[in-house]
This record gives sequence, structure tokens and C-alpha cells, in this order.
Amino acid sequence: MASSFTATELFEAIESGEDFVLLDVRNEEDFSNFIVEGPNDIEMLNIPYFDFIIDPESSVAKVPSDKTLMIVCAKQGSSEYVASVLTEFGRENVSHLDGGIISWGNVLVSKRVNSDNDSYEMWQFNRPGKASCSYGLVYGEEMFLFDPSRNLAFYQKFAESRGAEITHTFETHLQADYISGSPLIAEATGATFVAHEGDYGSGIHEYRSIVDGESFEFSNEGGPSTLCTHSPGHTPGSTSYVIDEKFLISGDTVFIVSVGRPDLGKQVVEWAKTLYSTLKERISILPDSLIVLPGHYTDWSIEADSEMRIMNNFGAVKKYNEQIYGIDDVDEFVSYIKSNMREQPDIYDQIRKVNSGHLTPSNDEQNIMDLGKNECAASSKTI
Amino acid sequence: MTDYNEELDCSGMNCPMPILKTKMKIDTMKDGEVLRVIATDPGACSDMPAWTSRVGHELVENCEEGDKFVFYIRKGE
Repeated sequence: MASSFTATELFEAIESGEDFVLLDVRNEEDFSNFIVEGPNDIEMLNIPYFDFIIDPESSVAKVPSDKTLMIVCAKQGSSEYVASVLTEFGRENVSHLDGGIISWGNVLVSKRVNSDNDSYEMWQFNRPGKASCSYGLVYGEEMFLFDPSRNLAFYQKFAESRGAEITHTFETHLQADYISGSPLIAEATGATFVAHEGDYGSGIHEYRSIVDGESFEFSNEGGPSTLCTHSPGHTPGSTSYVIDEKFLISGDTVFIVSVGRPDLGKQVVEWAKTLYSTLKERISILPDSLIVLPGHYTDWSIEADSEMRIMNNFGAVKKYNEQIYGIDDVDEFVSYIKSNMREQPDIYDQIRKVNSGHLTPSNDEQNIMDLGKNECAASSKTI
Repeated sequence: MTDYNEELDCSGMNCPMPILKTKMKIDTMKDGEVLRVIATDPGACSDMPAWTSRVGHELVENCEEGDKFVFYIRKGE
């Protein structure tokens, strides 16, 4: 029996820069649509598993013999098969990914964001398969979640490990690029689902509607406040959360690099103007010391800190995105947005319908819909 | 509907089994004969065309019948 590794172990291998070859045995089309990516470059090889069925000998010969091999396929079966073929040909140090590419797509990596000395814990849950982040705020025996994915088991286990219960699950906006876990988590745990009516008003989920400027507190006194700041543009209901006057959970409004694209709703001029007002009147005025905790990232090498956390202070973010924050004319801003526009993946319409509750695919279908990197930033390349 | 010589039911199997079984079956057939393969794994939808073009068989037709995927493959020379 060949050995296996989990998606978390794969991330750790990439993060620590281990020397291995990732052998992806899915067909070329699936491989070109979505690959394993992480904080370091990965030596990668795509040889479809059926090549090992058609001509095992020459397929094995294409695989480097002096490296550790980590094999990935769609669901696990084919990578196990290829591992067994390689082992028959005398190859050693061969293992396969438990649960296939879907488990990679769903894996969450947790990193503590605030100081160990604080009375509360702020956590970033990075989903490398989606290049997105959700967040957890723990105080006493309560945990607030922000923009969770569908990985209910992970969040429950995490809360348990902190001796807490999930009491609130906040959405920064109606996501288009991944299926939100908030409805699922609210149902499973009884947590209050908190969202803005600008995005969720026409949906069918039950939720607690946000009032701009209100603050959510933990039951026990002395905890960090969660201040809701309506920041429309990416979507009409986009809301950012200021935690303890120190952190900005910015959703898809402010990224470390770029800002959230306002063209996904197909009303590009109107939404771009709204985003301009939001950036000028509601975001730019925030203190430079605020730590931005974004919903997405595109480049680890720029957006992650030395501990591989996707975060930076707002002063640095403004400086890095001077091309955007420096625009002082609404028409110029609209032109900038338009010149950076690109197609959105077809699946986004479907995902929005799932997130608003108007479409309820099976779990397997949701897994497939939920696979693939996000396309949420207003500018696709590094500025 | 395409005429066929042999049939293979891979319902309930996950990859690599549908391709593996199809290869074994088609190896026993004559050139030009058609094999009808039934599968339930959605992975087969992209793998079957990729595999047939790789080995020189012809995917004559593929369709969905209820919750099953059906492929007609003509054995290449």
C-alpha cells in the first residue's frame, strides 16, 4: 500500500520549500483549468493517469527518479493507481493526495494574526486553492466567523480547539467566486448569520441585517468590538468590519494589491462610481495603522508577510496601490476600472444564485462549482 | 442511436476504473467495432475523450441518459 498525504501536509511541504515533484495525473484540460499553487514555486509535471494505462513504461520514464513524488488526481483513485504503477517499476518515495484535488481546493490553513498577549484571538484561515481568506475572532467561549467557506468540519473543529462556540457568521458581501459557508454553518450551529440587505435582501436565507455603523460585541465584557462599515462598490451590500480599531476585514473592497472589481454586477459605471465614493469617503479616512485582512490575494510573494499571512497595514496598502488611491477624479477612476476589465468566469452567475439561496445543487455539484481560483481584483496584474 | 458490438457497464466506478476496464475490453475487440460504455463518474466525461484521442480510438458519440454518461467508442487501427 502506497503512502498518502493530506492537503494540509501538501501546503506545509510547499510552504517549507521541500524538494519534491508534484505529479498531477488529471487530464490536460482539467490541469490547465486549475492547478495546485502556494507560497513557493512548485516543480510540477502533468502526465494523465491514462498514459500510465496506455504505456506504463514510457510514462514512468518521464518521471524523475531522484525526487520525492507527490501525486494528485481528481478524486484520489487515479493517483493511487499511478503510485502503484510507479512502485511496481521500483520507484520509491511515492505518495498520493488524500481526497484528490477537491480536498486541496477546500483546505484551510490557519494563522494567528494578532499578538499572543491580546485578550482575544484573531485568526486568518487561508484557502490556497481559492486564494481567499476567511477569519475567526475568538473571545471567551465565543467565536465570530467572517466569510467562511463550506468547510463546516474545519470551522467546528477549530472553534472546539479554542474552547469556543461559533455564535455569529458574518458575510462581507454576496460572493461570486466561491460558495459561502454561512448558511450551512448557521444551520448546523445555530449561529446568527449577519449580512447586508443590499446583497442578501433578495435572497431566501434568513439573516440578521446589518445597520451601517453598528457594533457587535461578545457576551463577556472587555472583548474586541466588531464595527460594521458599509463599503459598497464591489457589490451594493459590501461591508467591511473594523475589529478592535486595529484590523480591517475588508472582504473584496480593499486588497493588499488592488481593490475589488466593481464590474461583476454588469453595471460597471454605476458601481465604479459607488466604489470611488466608498474609497474616498469611507476607506481613505481610516488610520494608516489599521491592519488590512482581505478576502483574496493574487501573489504570495507580495501580499504575504514573513509568516505567510496575507496582511499589511493600510498605509502600506495605500502606498502600494497609489495608482488607484491617487485618482482624484471619478471619471478617471471609471476609465481605470474599464481599462482593467476582463471576463468573469461563467460559473459566477451560478455561484451567486447558490449564495442567495435561489439554487440548491447537490454537495458533489457544489464541490465542482467551488473549484478554481478567484477573479475578484480590479486589476489582474501587479500594479 | 449508434449501433454497437459490445457493451460495458462501469456504473458506480470511480477513475481510473472506467478507463482501465474500457481499455481491457476494447483490447479484446476487432478494429472498427464499437463499444458502448456506461459510466456514472463525472470524471469520465473529460477523461474518456482525452483517452480515446490519445490512443487513436474514435469517440463516435457521447450523451447523458438520466444520471448516466454513455460513450460509443470505435476501436482504432
